[in-house]
Amino acid sequence: MSNTEVEDTIKRLSANKYVQAVLIVNKEGQTIKSTLDESLSKKYSDLITKLVEQTIHVIREMDDEENKTNDLSFLRVRTKKHEILVAPDTDYLLIVIQDPEKS
Amino acid sequence: MEFERKRELEEKKLRLARLKQQREERNRLNSQSTFISEPAYKTDPERDRKINEYARTLLEEKDKTVRSSRPGTLSSQEDLVSSDKDKIEKSKTVTVHTNNYTNNYTPPNVSVPPSPTFFPAPRFMPELSSGQGESVDIASKEISLREGGIQTDETSFGPLPLSEEQIKENILKEIETAKAKKAAEEAERLRIEAEKKIKKDLSKKDKEALINSTKFAEFIDNSTGLIENILSERFDILIDYSVVEDVESNEESGNHVKCINSFFDDRWSKNRSVTDVNFSNRNPELVVASYNKNSSAKYEPDGIVLVWNLRQPERPNHVLHSQSDVLTTTFSDFRPELIIGGTYSGHIMLWDTRAKSSPIHQTPFSAIGHTHPIYSMQIVGTQNDHNLITASTDGVICSWQLDMLSHPVERLELIHSEHSKTDEVSVTSVGFPHNETTAFWVGTEEGNIYQVNRRGRPGGKAGINQCDFYKGHWGPVTGLHFHPNNNDSDEFADLFLTSSVDWTVKLWRAKSFLMPSTSLQIITPLHSFEAADDYVYDVKWSPRHPAQFTSVDGTGKFSLWNMNMDVEVPIVSTEVGQGKALNKVQWDKEGRKTVIGSSDGRVYVYDIGELSVPKEDENTLLQKTISELTDVNINDNLDSLGGRFYYSK
Repeated sequence: MSNTEVEDTIKRLSANKYVQAVLIVNKEGQTIKSTLDESLSKKYSDLITKLVEQTIHVIREMDDEENKTNDLSFLRVRTKKHEILVAPDTDYLLIVIQDPEKS
Repeated sequence: MEFERKRELEEKKLRLARLKQQREERNRLNSQSTFISEPAYKTDPERDRKINEYARTLLEEKDKTVRSSRPGTLSSQEDLVSSDKDKIEKSKTVTVHTNNYTNNYTPPNVSVPPSPTFFPAPRFMPELSSGQGESVDIASKEISLREGGIQTDETSFGPLPLSEEQIKENILKEIETAKAKKAAEEAERLRIEAEKKIKKDLSKKDKEALINSTKFAEFIDNSTGLIENILSERFDILIDYSVVEDVESNEESGNHVKCINSFFDDRWSKNRSVTDVNFSNRNPELVVASYNKNSSAKYEPDGIVLVWNLRQPERPNHVLHSQSDVLTTTFSDFRPELIIGGTYSGHIMLWDTRAKSSPIHQTPFSAIGHTHPIYSMQIVGTQNDHNLITASTDGVICSWQLDMLSHPVERLELIHSEHSKTDEVSVTSVGFPHNETTAFWVGTEEGNIYQVNRRGRPGGKAGINQCDFYKGHWGPVTGLHFHPNNNDSDEFADLFLTSSVDWTVKLWRAKSFLMPSTSLQIITPLHSFEAADDYVYDVKWSPRHPAQFTSVDGTGKFSLWNMNMDVEVPIVSTEVGQGKALNKVQWDKEGRKTVIGSSDGRVYVYDIGELSVPKEDENTLLQKTISELTDVNINDNLDSLGGRFYYSK
């Protein structure tokens, strides 16, 4: 997959009129691609990575059976101003911030 | 053994006797010593001698007591008896040693082993001091003998035990060192983290490298799919229903069908028309659509099949390619990952959604299968025994097993010998009665409909039933659909609808194939729906409402009919999209939504809403309607057509 395809995907996501920002972040909190400016991206990356870590920790701790198979599939944080959607993967996170108002 | 014991016992007795003696002597001496302990001390040889003797006895006694009362001082009976003298000597030195300490010191009650009040050896004559002292009467204790003695010297003691304060100090020191260590580790860790933080930003090169990796590609695919699903939902979870908003008048929706979504992909749908659409019965949100070739893009594959997810209108779930235009496509209900397509070239393609975009199987290009465009196909049968029936325009009907597409299970060439012009029958549409696999009906290019037996039976061989003519259409039959029999009753199972290029939709009652007729029969439709202004491209019964069906025509109109309400006019008729011709229509399993394929490459999904819900008495109403229609039919036909006429009831 080349850079342009990734760009296309991000563009398509951003084209949705409710989407405010799209970020791709790796597990250490480093921004790989973002539609926001650098400082804001950095902030989001840092904070959301930590939040995801904590969430995964909670899920793994609560999974008290022998075979720990539970893991985070999706994280959705609804705030008053917007909604943060996080799709996690083994190494990366896709973060989308959308305006939650119904059309 | 006994001997020894006896000896021991005797010796013990001796000792006890001796001890008694000594005690008496001591007591005597004590009383005497009070006399001696006068301030003035005079040397008196007589007295000295006495004292020496006494001292000796005392020493002996002391020896024993000392030895026995000291912990760890073990001495055997024999030692005591035999080597007393040695011991005495030894103890002399001992006593000298201690006596230095305890010269002027006489503790009242002594529990300390080296007792202070005993007299030194006769060689050495220290000063005797007067003092009140109680003699230690340890001897009265029972002497416990222990074998294997190790007599420890006082000098051989280990280092002095640490005093309490010193111990405290040590502990504090240890705690401090531990703390210091911890602090150091902590500092180290913080430093490493700080370093990490500093190297936070990835270089551009790194980013590029990451982006180009395959793992990243997978991640993008998976996560964007997820996100798009959610983005399309758009339900505001914080919605406050008590707040009054502008409520649109809902009266309209009672009589309207609503367009939920339209699917169009810039890359794949452009310049192509939709040739077939179908819902998946297993996953009701999936729709499959087949497209013909894109004449302006020569390098793209001619035939495309797209699988759309209703929740994701932006991009198709799957994109499947084919070498030739795909004219018809369907999901396999029994194996949900398979998609089948029939093409313009006569090939049948089999795709697996888990695999890539090329077909996993296709029928070989040979005379065994079809060599003409396949406009119609259907899967019939059950889970374990199902076949794909395909029909091409050269009159060949083939039955296939999906696992074995190399050659068909059956091949039937439809020949109609009674036809005036040609034997061949060019099939444009095929319809199977509900739950029936051995006989089916075909619509042809000239507008006639015939019944076909798949297999020979007594009274008729495989092939077209030569006797029954369903005559009524004036142009190619574009769609043929049997009533889906949604009430498990057989009343309407023989009704079918056909649509044709002659602007009409006709309702027929099929003659039972179990009783084949022997002579030529012309069967006319029960009713003809004439509301369209253009070619009618497709017609389909509703799976839920027994009297409802939809039709799509060349003006872009999508019509919903309800026979119980009105037989002449559709109850709803909307223009779909831009007014381009609509090629196909299909209901979903529940009968609430319809998917429509348009000739501009768009796929529309409409929600029928409340109209799709049948009322209680629909069946009976329909029966009434049908019987009315048949009556009318009879009358009409009797009037219009004279002469020989047979109709089927």
